[in-house]
Amino acid sequence: MHDERDEQLGRLFQAVRALKPDTAAVEKGFETRLLAAIEERRNNQALWSFWTWRLVPMFTLMAIIVGVVSVASDPARSGDLFTLLAPSGYDDIW
Amino acid sequence: MNVLTEEPSDERLIEEILAGNDSAFVWLVRRYKQKIFGLAARFARDADELDDICQNVFIKVFENLGTFRHEAPFEHWLARITVRTCHDALRRRKREKYHLSLDAVHHQIADGASSSRQAAEEARDLLEKGLSRLRTEERLVITLLELEEKSVREVAALTGWSEANVKVRAFRARQKLKSLLEKQYAR
Repeated sequence: MHDERDEQLGRLFQAVRALKPDTAAVEKGFETRLLAAIEERRNNQALWSFWTWRLVPMFTLMAIIVGVVSVASDPARSGDLFTLLAPSGYDDIW
Repeated sequence: MNVLTEEPSDERLIEEILAGNDSAFVWLVRRYKQKIFGLAARFARDADELDDICQNVFIKVFENLGTFRHEAPFEHWLARITVRTCHDALRRRKREKYHLSLDAVHHQIADGASSSRQAAEEARDLLEKGLSRLRTEERLVITLLELEEKSVREVAALTGWSEANVKVRAFRARQKLKSLLEKQYAR
């Protein structure tokens, strides 16, 4: 059903449609800003990739050292998972 | 890398861009920027947001051009990216609890008459108030249908929603806007 409110809304849309957005001021120099933004993203990506690959050997070495040190400092480590999870002094309760 | 002198086709420009020719990208941007700005201005709250949306659109185009399949015209692909980017901007704004403030984007009225200009600007303010109260999907649909004069089928293609979904969202948006108008005129 087409009531009065529909017509009001239709008139509102019509009025706003006639109001063409003037974007000329924002468009000025857009290509320059865009290319600068793309260049910045390229540089950031290149930087991330550079540091990621450079740091991989260092982190690998650190992981190996931490593993060796933890095994060396705790030689009596048990293979039993429940022993590891049990709180200290657990046996004393019983 | 070739130097482009005459008006090249979109396909030619895309080939050049994929081969690493940045000046071909500038050609493509110049060709479509006015349309993209015109569409995005319907959703942006100010000039800064408009610039951000348009930059995001063209950055997405630049970074995903390799995935463009040439099954539909480039312009359609670009329009879909624009609509999706505008939708993202609307959702971000909703999260920021944005409330109405109008705005640094200037509008030009088609007939130029000052009294009708004032009336149109009042209409725009009123409509903007109503649109800011809609869900982002409803706002997107009603703007594309009523202000950009797209068909239901076109809106469905641009948004990726079904035609039935578009119709339901448009219906809800109209109902909400009508009830807002009723309250406005009742004052």
